[in-house]
Amino acid sequence: MRKGLLAVLLVLLVAAGFAQGDKLKACWIYVGPVGDYGWSHAHDQGRIAAEKALPWLETQYVESVPEAQAEAYIDRLVKQGCEVVFATSFGYMDSVLAAARKHPDVIFAHATGFKRAPNVATYMADFYQLYYLNGLMAGALTKSGKVGYVAAFPIPELKRHISAFALGVRAVNPDAEVLVRWIYEWYNPAAAKEATEALIAEGADVFAFTEDTPTVIQVAAKKGLPSFSHYSPMKRFAPELVVSGQLVHWEKVYIDFLAKVYAGVYTSKNLQDVDYWWLLSQGAVELGGEYGEPVNPRFVSALKARKVNHPVFGKVSVYDLVVKELALMRDVELAFDPFQGPIKDRRGKMRVPAGLRLTKHELETMEWAAPGIKGPWPNEPK
Amino acid sequence: MDDLVLAMLVRALAFGTPILLAGLGEIYAERSGVVNLGVEGMMAVGALAAFAVAQSSGSPYLGVLAALLAAALVSLPFALASITLRANQYVAGLALTMLGLGVSGLLGKPYEGAPLAHPLPEAGFIVTALLLAVLLWFFLQHTYGGLVLRSAGENPETVDAMGIDVYRVRYAAVIFGGAMSGLAGAFLSLAYRPSWADGITSGLGWIAVALAIFAAWHPLKAVGAALLFGALYHLSYRLQAAVSPEFLKAMPYLFVVVVLSLSALRKGPSGAPESLGIPYVRGERR
Repeated sequence: MRKGLLAVLLVLLVAAGFAQGDKLKACWIYVGPVGDYGWSHAHDQGRIAAEKALPWLETQYVESVPEAQAEAYIDRLVKQGCEVVFATSFGYMDSVLAAARKHPDVIFAHATGFKRAPNVATYMADFYQLYYLNGLMAGALTKSGKVGYVAAFPIPELKRHISAFALGVRAVNPDAEVLVRWIYEWYNPAAAKEATEALIAEGADVFAFTEDTPTVIQVAAKKGLPSFSHYSPMKRFAPELVVSGQLVHWEKVYIDFLAKVYAGVYTSKNLQDVDYWWLLSQGAVELGGEYGEPVNPRFVSALKARKVNHPVFGKVSVYDLVVKELALMRDVELAFDPFQGPIKDRRGKMRVPAGLRLTKHELETMEWAAPGIKGPWPNEPK
Repeated sequence: MDDLVLAMLVRALAFGTPILLAGLGEIYAERSGVVNLGVEGMMAVGALAAFAVAQSSGSPYLGVLAALLAAALVSLPFALASITLRANQYVAGLALTMLGLGVSGLLGKPYEGAPLAHPLPEAGFIVTALLLAVLLWFFLQHTYGGLVLRSAGENPETVDAMGIDVYRVRYAAVIFGGAMSGLAGAFLSLAYRPSWADGITSGLGWIAVALAIFAAWHPLKAVGAALLFGALYHLSYRLQAAVSPEFLKAMPYLFVVVVLSLSALRKGPSGAPESLGIPYVRGERR
């Protein structure tokens, strides 16, 4: 009897061991609250989608982790059995590398960073292509010739996005200006509101922004002015006035990465060169203020009415141009890119010679401002 | 040019309203002798209560009422700790800020990212805040109740000798201050930016605490101070094209430092209540 019990116990233990081996535990650390409806919210949506899609995946997360304390949180997650750790803020970079040295068997992936190690990969889903398309629409919709942009911090990521946006605006409306105001905060509804009010007072009549709340949309909508959604589906905050926007699908990156870890393609030894820079063609980002709707139907006729002379497509409506260029950028061939030469910066210096495109590294370190951008531009190169 | 001035005044009023409302509440609490650093937390609780009730009941006015009650309620543990149990007021206040921000963030999860169906106009709150400033000034300076309140902050022994319970006066002032913070929170989530988000107060509560000092604990001066803060805040975005944004961003705070230093140089009493920050112990001589 005893032997029998022991055997049963042994079988159970082995089975449990296998069951455990079948699971993969991935953990996320977020810089903000999951409910910020911006950056951390989007990453968490990605986590939830990955968990749904991958039956063997077990997940855990910690939110609002201060950048200085990331290492301690990572240690705790590793102790709790996390085999893959996703660190989702640029400021976690050095903590991630330090933790990776301490836990060489754990796999790390750091969003937006550029430092890698054998067990640290980097990843990013970037919006610059979408910003260009939104710029085309903003250029067509502005009556005053002034487009307002409320921006968080003057860092390369935002400069790239605002420049792509301004290139789009100018492609349709060569005299239009993009008025930029910096609020020096990722999350500050009051600052975003006052910056928008200031832009309205200066005559801006179409708005785009980089801030983690729908404030700009709400303020613009109160005055009946159109705007572009950022990061999350914010159309619901002004269904009549959100033209389009940028949406992210972090789950595309997460599912791909985790499946490769699970299959043994990625290990804690071979991530030195693993860097996801995912755009439209990988489906990591989507055009629109609501999933599955690239352009708000209420604006389609206005965008169809506005015609431009395009060097490739000839006389074409802005709506058709958006649709065509969106299709080109979705294609793996990438027959079109917003930063396609010749492009001069706003001071007249040639930045992208004819026939060339910016490389990923150039995009990641971009400091110059595209023509049409009005406003302060810290660290602007001479 | 007129447009610029007008736009600035309107924005200064709108941005000044939450800090004026919460600042008036803080002035009352401090005039009674209690420093409450929990304004930010109470404001967040008020904002969430207002949004949650307005959204589920469909009536923004019920939301305002809920904000008043909820924020007054969360000020109770602070009052208990700092008045009855005589804990350090500053520490207890900081705890209240953390509690308020944490609890509202946690309970607010289901309301994230939902627009409010029936927002209130900003103007209603602005007018209410201005009227309240006048009323509160009148009560404080020209009524017996106001005299008792001020005495509790200046010389609580006297109030005690008059046969009035100092604890009760201070409780009332702190709870009133909580309700005012709640009203400021309701303004944020029902009118200023009609939606709920974790951390919606983004530091406004702290500006309100600074406002109380800046206005020399005087309700009417608080109006001017709130307008000034609002105007500076708005200007920091209007002038960005011409002046360095980093400098403009620091301007309101620089301004506070300068004015506080100047008022410290001024001869005579600073205007701070004598017994501010000192827990009252009955029957003990100081």
